[in-house]
Amino acid sequence: MTKRFWILICSSAILVGGLVLYVFTRESVRVSATPITNFSAPFVFGRFNIPKENPLTEEAFALGRRLFYDPILSGNNDVACATCHQQHLAFTDGLARPTGLSGKELEFSSMSLANLLWGARRFFWNGRAVSLEELALIPIQHPEEMNQNLDELLRELKKSEKYRYMFAQTFGDISSDAVAKALATFMRLLISSDSKYDQFLRGEVNLSPLEEHGRKLFMAHPDVKASLRGANCIDCHSQFLTSGFRDAFDGFSNNGLDSEEHLSKGLEAVTKDPKHRGLFKVPTLRNIALTAPYMHDGRFRTLEEVMDHYINGIKISTTLSPLILEADNSPSDNDPSVGLKLNDSEKKAIIAFLHTLTDEKFVSNQKLSNPFEGGS
Amino acid sequence: MSRLAKLTMAMISLGVIITVTWLILSNISPSFNSLALVFNAKVGDQALVFDKFNYTNPEGSEKFKIRDFRFFISNITLHSGDDKYIETNSYHLARFDNEQTSYSIILQDVELNEIDKITFSIGVDSDANSSLEPLGDLDPNSKMAWNWEVGYKFVLLEGGIQINKQVRPLVYHIGFDENRRDLEFSFPTGYALSDGMKIQYTVDAMKLFASTSSVNIADIQSVKFDKTDARLFADNYQKMISANWK
Repeated sequence: MTKRFWILICSSAILVGGLVLYVFTRESVRVSATPITNFSAPFVFGRFNIPKENPLTEEAFALGRRLFYDPILSGNNDVACATCHQQHLAFTDGLARPTGLSGKELEFSSMSLANLLWGARRFFWNGRAVSLEELALIPIQHPEEMNQNLDELLRELKKSEKYRYMFAQTFGDISSDAVAKALATFMRLLISSDSKYDQFLRGEVNLSPLEEHGRKLFMAHPDVKASLRGANCIDCHSQFLTSGFRDAFDGFSNNGLDSEEHLSKGLEAVTKDPKHRGLFKVPTLRNIALTAPYMHDGRFRTLEEVMDHYINGIKISTTLSPLILEADNSPSDNDPSVGLKLNDSEKKAIIAFLHTLTDEKFVSNQKLSNPFEGGS
Repeated sequence: MSRLAKLTMAMISLGVIITVTWLILSNISPSFNSLALVFNAKVGDQALVFDKFNYTNPEGSEKFKIRDFRFFISNITLHSGDDKYIETNSYHLARFDNEQTSYSIILQDVELNEIDKITFSIGVDSDANSSLEPLGDLDPNSKMAWNWEVGYKFVLLEGGIQINKQVRPLVYHIGFDENRRDLEFSFPTGYALSDGMKIQYTVDAMKLFASTSSVNIADIQSVKFDKTDARLFADNYQKMISANWK
């Protein structure tokens, strides 16, 4: 009895000890990654969440950056994330819609990647991903975009000594989960916060009278009764982030691009809710002067065309935002067109303000550039 | 058994005793209650259904629909005689875009056994309204923010009204410090609290148009910065919440 008892005690102790050691060493691989501590963002951007299971680390950032620029991620080893998300264009590609692998145009324009920690918690124009980790693997596997099989990708990555080392150091092993986490970390740290508008908010510079006029119009919902002229941009683009709103589906809107019969699905494709037909993600306007063409399908080539749409080109449909339908600076005229009815000097002012959202430091930051080209 | 085995048994027994005692104590000691305030939305005597022309202009025959309805509830205080429970960072955005069209606020660690009064405001206090601090649900980058020179919308209702077969937009954004309304719900005989209790409120969106004054929606299709209209609506929404003490 005593002997058996002791065997039981000893084997339990070994089991527990082994478990503790296992957990401890597993943890210690993770702990060897360096937490990013010097990371900061403007106070006015507000709250953000970093998922507990994917903390920001220097190693994950370096790995994510390398993966982002590496065509190894695509099936034919020819297309990288950076092919459609080029830094000098604020991580867009300058195209209305990129051409897919089969030679036909893709459904959507490439979205700018900036300040993704804030704004709507759904990604892509139709909100089909609910996290940056989920987002990261979608274009990789999309047959028209990068057309990669994830198992094949992992096999290729495992052949590279450099990747074996980087993954081991950061996550312990090479997995699609780790690929997603690294890319998400890189995207989270694409922070644009040094535009002229940011400098103005920090009290460092003044806006020109034209830019200031544009800012005031941007921030105002028109109210004829209160003699207030406005462009109601802020009804969808938040005042500091200039992105869509964070909560629920607040960051999605039907901005009157198409009439009822031509309305594309947009968010409805994801939620299956007809109330969401024709609603698309409200994009950030940070660096908007660099990210032409505009809208989910790149239909407008210039900011002038965008403004013309909002001034008198709104198409009516059931799900059109009432804020857009209602925002009219001269409702008493006989003009049958729908829109803001702003004058030319107001249009110029708004465009001047939009140019203050360009962040030259962001689009030339060496830390975000292609590491294969010797950036540091 | 050897001495060592006896010692091990003793240690295990001690561990068990400590655990059991701790479990018992943690269950019987401090009686902090959690209390839920549940706000259930309706429109007059109808259910709130978004995006359906189910409702009638109180001063006309036109049908209207509601696309969005939300408002700030702030500075919740529970009173029990002179004792008070004051919620910190008490800024809640009540929104009803869920299946139950209801919104709940859970108050934790309420050190009161009974309450005789609940007070809170519709809207936010002027300090919070002029601040960019993201307290509670306040978010200067949200749909409820106008811009930093104007502050927050307190009550937001958007939708459309059918006039001559055309749909005209309805946009009611009511804010400004003077339109915060402080509400008080009394239960003179005292209301005994128990953990996990819920107090139900009804929020009647129709009261925005028909309570202190009756509004012809076809005439006033939007309210934003006009001070007189904003006040008219604030005096109306002052009466939109009623408590159902049980």
